[in-house]
Amino acid sequence: MKTRLPALAFIAFVAIAGIILTLSPHNMRSVQAGFLGLISPFLKTGSTMEKKYRDFREGLKTLEQLEEENKRISIANKDLSATNQTLRGLEAENTRLRKALGYAERAAFKLVPARIIARDAATWYSSIVIDRGTAEGIKADMPVLTEEGLVGKTSTVSEHAATVILISDETCKVAVNVENSTEKGIARGERGSTTAIPQIALTFITKQANLQPGQKVLTSGVGGVFPSGALVGTVKDFKVRELDGYATILPAVDLTTLEDVFVVVSNRP
Amino acid sequence: MILFPLLLVAMFLALVVQHFIGPLPPMGARVLIMPIIMFYGALALPLPAMFALTLAGGLMWDALHVQMVDGSYEIALGSSVVLYGVLGGLISGFRPLFQRGRWEIHCLLSGFACSIIVFAEYLMITFRREPVIFVFTPNIWWSIAASGIVATLLSPFFFFALNYLALRTGYDPQPLRRQPKR
Repeated sequence: MKTRLPALAFIAFVAIAGIILTLSPHNMRSVQAGFLGLISPFLKTGSTMEKKYRDFREGLKTLEQLEEENKRISIANKDLSATNQTLRGLEAENTRLRKALGYAERAAFKLVPARIIARDAATWYSSIVIDRGTAEGIKADMPVLTEEGLVGKTSTVSEHAATVILISDETCKVAVNVENSTEKGIARGERGSTTAIPQIALTFITKQANLQPGQKVLTSGVGGVFPSGALVGTVKDFKVRELDGYATILPAVDLTTLEDVFVVVSNRP
Repeated sequence: MILFPLLLVAMFLALVVQHFIGPLPPMGARVLIMPIIMFYGALALPLPAMFALTLAGGLMWDALHVQMVDGSYEIALGSSVVLYGVLGGLISGFRPLFQRGRWEIHCLLSGFACSIIVFAEYLMITFRREPVIFVFTPNIWWSIAASGIVATLLSPFFFFALNYLALRTGYDPQPLRRQPKR
């Protein structure tokens, strides 16, 4: 019996591996959600400890540094307040004009704030794990943003955690428009883009696009996953290929140091 | 044999810890701790336990990392189970040498296997993603090689710590090693 044990173990291994490999996508998603639910308390604890350590390190600042930071934040606060006032005026004007033209009222978004509890440890994927899940109304394929721009979309969702595929991942495709241009294209991460600042490729644009560095790239809303008007990034460079144009985009959001995000849960508050 | 559940727990915790270790500069190679522990298990434990470990390791890895793209999975859940099983079986072949107290070649093998894992993942996503173009930039080669180099460098520490843990639990993974002369 003892000599047969390795052979039996091998047969059992092959059988179980075969069963796992033939799971339906629905069952696979359930397995993933279950495991994410199991690991998320550990990730949350780890994230809290990491944040405390970072806060402790950052807390060791001189009085001059704190004064400088305070001054900078005060200026930024005044600037944002002024911008907010202007935008409120523009919003009111926009609503009035839309009503006058008989346009449907633009849907407001309901945002769920979430904290990043882990970054993906795999080599070929760009994703993060957030501390919000189905309990907070989050489902798969919901857009994730920050005040600076687009971050990605949700993928696997458990009760209190969700995986977010970042826009720097090759599998996250976003329909976009380029500011001050009629160009429309698809933004997607580049395979093997493992540099400190991930870059996004803008494809399906015309050879005549002649995009200039610094031009803003915004979501077009086509496809239904991402809302229109969210900033994806800015054009870094543009080149003409045999059949089309190709541009590299620098993401608007620093995806490597991101801490908090918002999930667009629905179009109505 | 309490070492088996301990290794399972260690693999799970390693998976958690890996999320807090950022990509290594300059080109973002990842530190793979979980496979090192799994490969130690392939050396320290008999074949049936090795298969169980690789099964658990592969399933945990895929459950956490495999992504759904446009409504279908680009890599089937369980692909890593097969990959880890093959690599675990290969490493397990060097178990007699490990039992005699040697571990140098096993650390190298562990690093090599980690590079194979990263390389195989790259091939799998390349075959599934359109267009099927084999892009091998220096970044990609570095990601593949660096993961293995880091794993090779880390393996002695993990092997030493896990060996100590095994001995503390009353299980000797190297029963044939030469005893020091008194």
